[in-house]
Amino acid sequence: MSELKSAQLLRGNAWIFRGLIDIDYEICSYNLVRDLRADTAEALGKFCMVNVDPDFPKKVRKGDFIVAEENMGYGHDHDHGCLSLIGAGVGAVLCESAAPYFLRNSIEHGLPVVELRGVVEAVSQGDPLEVDLAAGRFRNLRSGKQLSFTPPPDFILKMIGAGGIYPLLTRMAQEGRLPKR
Amino acid sequence: MAETITEKILARASGKSKVKAGDYLTVKSNCPIIFGHHSFDTFMDRGLHMIPRLGVRVFDSSKVIIVDGHGGASSGSNIADVRWAAQKWAREVGIPLENVINLGRGGIENMMSAERAWALPGETFFQGCNGHLSTVGALGTFACALSHGAGAYLMKGTTWVRVPVSVKIVLTGRMPENGVYARDAFEYVLQQIGPMGGMGGVLEWCGPVVDEMSMDERFSLSSSAIFTGAWTSLMNPDEKTIAYVKAATKQPFEPLRSDPDAQYARVYEFDVSKIEPLVVPPPKRHIVKTVREVEGVKLNRGFIGSDSGGWFEHMQLAARILKGRKLPPDVILNITPGTVGILLRMMDTDMLRTFVEAGCCVPDPNEGQEAGLNTLLCAGEVCIASAQTNYPGRMGSREADIYLANPATVAASCLEGRITDPRKYL
Repeated sequence: MSELKSAQLLRGNAWIFRGLIDIDYEICSYNLVRDLRADTAEALGKFCMVNVDPDFPKKVRKGDFIVAEENMGYGHDHDHGCLSLIGAGVGAVLCESAAPYFLRNSIEHGLPVVELRGVVEAVSQGDPLEVDLAAGRFRNLRSGKQLSFTPPPDFILKMIGAGGIYPLLTRMAQEGRLPKR
Repeated sequence: MAETITEKILARASGKSKVKAGDYLTVKSNCPIIFGHHSFDTFMDRGLHMIPRLGVRVFDSSKVIIVDGHGGASSGSNIADVRWAAQKWAREVGIPLENVINLGRGGIENMMSAERAWALPGETFFQGCNGHLSTVGALGTFACALSHGAGAYLMKGTTWVRVPVSVKIVLTGRMPENGVYARDAFEYVLQQIGPMGGMGGVLEWCGPVVDEMSMDERFSLSSSAIFTGAWTSLMNPDEKTIAYVKAATKQPFEPLRSDPDAQYARVYEFDVSKIEPLVVPPPKRHIVKTVREVEGVKLNRGFIGSDSGGWFEHMQLAARILKGRKLPPDVILNITPGTVGILLRMMDTDMLRTFVEAGCCVPDPNEGQEAGLNTLLCAGEVCIASAQTNYPGRMGSREADIYLANPATVAASCLEGRITDPRKYL
């Protein structure tokens, strides 16, 4: 568990996006994805949030946080937006609340999404932040402001630690823990 | 303590006696999981390809159904590749041939799931990617897309859920007689509660107006829940639901209903007696106007179809307006029945003749134009559609405008080449 815990200590700077963030428009244009037939996180990362901030993929650094308001990832159950966030280097999404499909798809891709009441208020653009997923603790390293949240259950921490549900299942298959065809 | 239908279904599916919002559960389903063949596109349900790659078994291949539902024969994109990929995958992982519903026998997957009662009252029901699986919630089913996690479900036979809160929406009064339908009731509710109104929850549609609705209209009402921020939506099954399911399947099922004193995160009550035909102009899905506010907007394209507006009754409605009339030469109207079952019923009427004589294009049953997979829009074109989504590029060019409306408004507007109130034709 200690190994798991250290893997869940996240540090990065904040990028705040206000308003309703649609998975298929603001996060990453579904139309564009379909036209490009883009598949990898790397390819999709170049288009992350560009409808809101065209330079975002160039400015964001690996491990940075996206801080959002209510209903983050609104809309369809498309998962390309989650891949695009990962591809851009986003380390976690901190939001007042998340759309259920966005939350599920992100976690299954290994991207932590933390629903954290008061986070928008607690953060200014560019603030250095620290999140301990397993302990359910958030700290703004500039202001010292702290918030707490219910940590995700172990199976979700494991999924995130493994980089998503399929890396986890691949390991299980290799260890003979999934029935062979 | 009293429970909602959602809590009861998820308790049953997880083998627990009681669950509450926020609980994490491992759940199963006694229903098949369905996939549209779009799930096999390289950028869709990637997890599916992990199964042959890892050489692992699908937990129960008899409970996987693949439907040729999104592209149709006339699809202009890479649907042929995807269709073939789906068939190869099915062979490779051992899905029985009869579970692959091929071109000519398919339709929109969630509509077929309702029509054939693959989704059952009191059960969970899953699909790969499809945000509108809530459609079958009208049967009293907890239905959600598994999207990226669909492959994992196939390997394990279970998936995880965090029990959502329930949001009760009570529709009272009486639906206006003409020109206003379940779709307008949904848009009215969306206008009132906004894109956060159902946030994180399950919409539970109740009240005398829902009780009065036909199954076609209930499916339409239940199909768009995600735009309120909800995960999915459902209804408490009644005699109408049970009769519908029994006519469609011999599978046994045990319906569940909310207790009268169940607790809800939010309860909304709306009188729908005075609502008007509504329109969702581009580009935002949640900004709703009355048809009067956008009347006169010139258009050259129309689409009647999709899980919100492609049911049999919607075809009847379009036929009522189009009978004996002709489209202007510069207007293209695509009318796509949602499933082969609907098409067959249409063949017992003169609807197809009406549509063809009016100058409409009638593709084989599929999602089609809704997802920009056939009869695409070009830059500068303006379309009115009974579809789900209006964001730029959904049906082709990002420089085309999509207005969403009920099927009657679409038919009437296409006849005039501009957005118009359908009530004068009814």
